[in-house]
Amino acid sequence: MNATLRRSLFSLALLAWGGVLLYFYSSGRMNQYLAPDFRMIAFAGGLGLAVLGLFNLLTAGQAADCGHDHSGEEGAHDHENDDMHPITALLLMLVPLGLAVAWTKDEYSADALSRKGLYAAPSAMNSPFLASSIPALTREEIEKSHRKTADGFLEFNLMELFFSTGDREMQPLIEGLKVQTEGRWIDEKVRNPNGSRKRLYRLFMTCCAADSKAIPIILEFDKQPPELPDNGWVTVAGTMRFIMEDGEIQPVLVVDRALASEPPYEENFMRQKGF
Amino acid sequence: MSPDSQQDFALAFLSILFEGAPFILLGTLISGFIDIYLPPGMMDRFLPKNKFLAVLMSGMLGAVFPVCECAVVPVIRRLVKKGLPVSCGLTYMLAAPIVNPITALSTWKAFQGQGAGMMTCSRLLLGFLVAVAVGMIVSKLPLGAVLRPKLAESLNNDAREVGHHDHEHDHDHDHDHDHDHSCCGHDHRHAPAGGERLVAAFRSAMKDFVDVAVYFSIGVTITALFNTGIAPGAQWLDSLASNPTAAPVALMVLAFILSLCSTSDAFIAATLDKFSWGAKLAFLTFGPMMDVKLIFLYQTVLRKRFIVLLALGLFVSIGGISIFWQHLILGAK
Repeated sequence: MNATLRRSLFSLALLAWGGVLLYFYSSGRMNQYLAPDFRMIAFAGGLGLAVLGLFNLLTAGQAADCGHDHSGEEGAHDHENDDMHPITALLLMLVPLGLAVAWTKDEYSADALSRKGLYAAPSAMNSPFLASSIPALTREEIEKSHRKTADGFLEFNLMELFFSTGDREMQPLIEGLKVQTEGRWIDEKVRNPNGSRKRLYRLFMTCCAADSKAIPIILEFDKQPPELPDNGWVTVAGTMRFIMEDGEIQPVLVVDRALASEPPYEENFMRQKGF
Repeated sequence: MSPDSQQDFALAFLSILFEGAPFILLGTLISGFIDIYLPPGMMDRFLPKNKFLAVLMSGMLGAVFPVCECAVVPVIRRLVKKGLPVSCGLTYMLAAPIVNPITALSTWKAFQGQGAGMMTCSRLLLGFLVAVAVGMIVSKLPLGAVLRPKLAESLNNDAREVGHHDHEHDHDHDHDHDHDHSCCGHDHRHAPAGGERLVAAFRSAMKDFVDVAVYFSIGVTITALFNTGIAPGAQWLDSLASNPTAAPVALMVLAFILSLCSTSDAFIAATLDKFSWGAKLAFLTFGPMMDVKLIFLYQTVLRKRFIVLLALGLFVSIGGISIFWQHLILGAK
């Protein structure tokens, strides 16, 4: 393969990688893949790859003297000597990426979620690092630091409820509190003989989706739960309980109302397009 | 592969690729510019003449040039070609992802409330000592036993050519005339126009990126497949957590499979609260030096046989030291 064609193909591969990074960032879909700290780095990486690819594509046919003396060398110029056939390299770079882009739905399947702790008890998931990020509070401080809805429920992040489970300081403060929270709605597959339970979860990622963990609580209804779309976002309000089941403390929200809702800003990349 | 598995694989694959690609680009841009602009032998001149001191200093270069393990491999390829001794190159390659300020900061931040200062210092010290030990061993080995045959042959040829030419005269690289003794392996040509060198540097960076990206892509594919199907082993892992010998072994295997970046792996380790402090130290030291993704990246520089021996050596030494550390120094934790 001649040098100009090889450079052009490699440039296109870099443009493809850069293009995917830039597309996922600009569409907001990157939010489902990387934690906030890494998103700007990914954007800069995509931009860098696009610039590098474009520069090399535009100069592919240009002679370039590196300034070194290669007169003693045989065969190809060392700076562009290939480790493998360019077509093989190109396929290995682009086929897995292409398949992943085609297959992705920007979320895990139910099976993968259960592998990532959707049905694990909080005590088995609890992270000292995450738990320590929640400050020590009194009940008055909790009420002051959380907005109250018109019907008297305190707005809580799902993670606060999850990580309070088993916490000697936080759990007694939140036990019996009327709270409202939001998350994704999914079937409860364990300890649900009457079918009166659902599960509410969010994914928490430290760096990227590969290391993400599901953060769930149980929703308990008086009767049958309402019909809401699986994996859809819901806002639920009720009374928070911590119940010992099968030797482990479970966070259970006894639900007064559950309504389908818009995904929060962070999760909704379609909404961000308007900004 | 079922549609659900495809969906899970795709999410894990893309997220790891998005996280790692910018760091590879950074590394290959640096390597491309080193390739074209750094005169051969320049790195050698920075290091002490004493072999042991040179290896020691190489273990600390990461503090000045902080790169993660994905970015360091292409840099090392170029530096070795530029005349950096292989022992120093390998020491830098193993130490830099750990002994650098970004990794230190992330470890310290992740282990707040779990002896953050001690974990950060232990990680940096263990990473440094193991890398220096590997460097010292490599300094006793022939190039052919360590490097890929093509790279070793190229370096051996350079060495022979330098030996063949009589270098009694003092080279002056600022001179204006062109004298032809190219076989000495040094640059004696007039500098080309800046634009041409820039094009050459970007070409070199692109070539390096493609080389590394190919192996990274294979590594991420395997990692994503393990990552999305890793849970069947989770209970088995938990059962090993309380065993002082099996726990570090299990977490080193986990680090090998997960192939996390050294700048972010501490956040994962900190959540493994069933495991001992020593096991987490083993996870944080072994992972940046050897994992599935790195196996593929290392093949761009090192012989396969050497990679296998290196992996076994790192596994035994880091595991052993972590167990010793846990028992004798941090027994109370």
